[in-house]
Amino acid sequence: MEFSLLGAAAIGVGVLYAVLWWEAKRGNAAACTKDLWDLALGSAAAGLVVGRLATMIGNGVNPAAHLGDIIIVRAGVDTGWASLTALAVLSFMGRGEIRAVADGLAAAVLAGLAGWHGSCLFRDACLGTPSDLPWATSLDGSTVTRHPTEIYAALGFLAIAALLLAWKLRPPTLGLVGATALAAAGAIRLVTEPLRPALGGRPNLWYAAAIIAGAGSAMVLTARARRTRGKAPLRENGTRDRAP
Amino acid sequence: MVNVWASWCIPCRSEAPLLRSANEQFGEEVRFIGIDTKDQMSGAREFIAEFDLGGFEHFFDSSGDVPGSLGGRGVPLTFFFRAGGELSYLHNGVIDERTLALHLDELVRG
Repeated sequence: MEFSLLGAAAIGVGVLYAVLWWEAKRGNAAACTKDLWDLALGSAAAGLVVGRLATMIGNGVNPAAHLGDIIIVRAGVDTGWASLTALAVLSFMGRGEIRAVADGLAAAVLAGLAGWHGSCLFRDACLGTPSDLPWATSLDGSTVTRHPTEIYAALGFLAIAALLLAWKLRPPTLGLVGATALAAAGAIRLVTEPLRPALGGRPNLWYAAAIIAGAGSAMVLTARARRTRGKAPLRENGTRDRAP
Repeated sequence: MVNVWASWCIPCRSEAPLLRSANEQFGEEVRFIGIDTKDQMSGAREFIAEFDLGGFEHFFDSSGDVPGSLGGRGVPLTFFFRAGGELSYLHNGVIDERTLALHLDELVRG
């Protein structure tokens, strides 16, 4: 058996933990009372299981009849169902303060994803579709040069994570960082997916949906914040002066 | 592409749907061979029928000598040979979609 995926997961989770630890020292998610580490691991584990089950069912394999197959994640995990489940579990576990939770986890999760994709360097699994670009590389003994697709994804996630960390130094509207992270993650996957070798074409609707959900939430949050800023402060009797 | 499998091997069951998809996509350009190793014929037939792997040429290796003679150990194993017979890549353990698609693409383009 090959355990390189476990190593990749360990790198991703390690980076996630390191960024959360670093941010916690700087007052990350001060409005959040939940344990971000627990939330991240719980939702990721739930997503992994559901994504694996979705793949098995999609392949015509009955999970109830083949329980042992569930742990063999290398045979495939449906990213769409995994992400959707992780978000649903995160929303449930972080209920009541989901915007603070999303902001608190955003940069760490994207950095963790950068670690996961970047671990391809140790697994010899970075290459994607053929390319003639100057930085394209080939497999040992091959003349076909290819996109280093996983490196693109790792750099994309890392860049967005760094931008979010910088943005959080001047905290924007609550929830805006989390919404932006969701849209950015969807965009990175949408752009890099066609550069990955795959069996058959598959629609990237999940990634497009993540962009729409993230960007839509960001717009709603921004509009709400503008409306609130435009209002005069409440008087003691609950009425307001006219907005300037 | 030579895949070494057995009906009693749980990881082989996990990768079988991927191999069927690969055969559907690359079957006209790449020859897909299955080597059923250290197995019972009845179990092997059920496995092929269950995962619809009839598109492969399957060979029965009751002794388990063939994978070893090709340089592999255990099951599952996936060998990728270029048209001239030169080994392009050997994957030990369950193969994932990306690796499978990448090395099949290499065979087609190489």
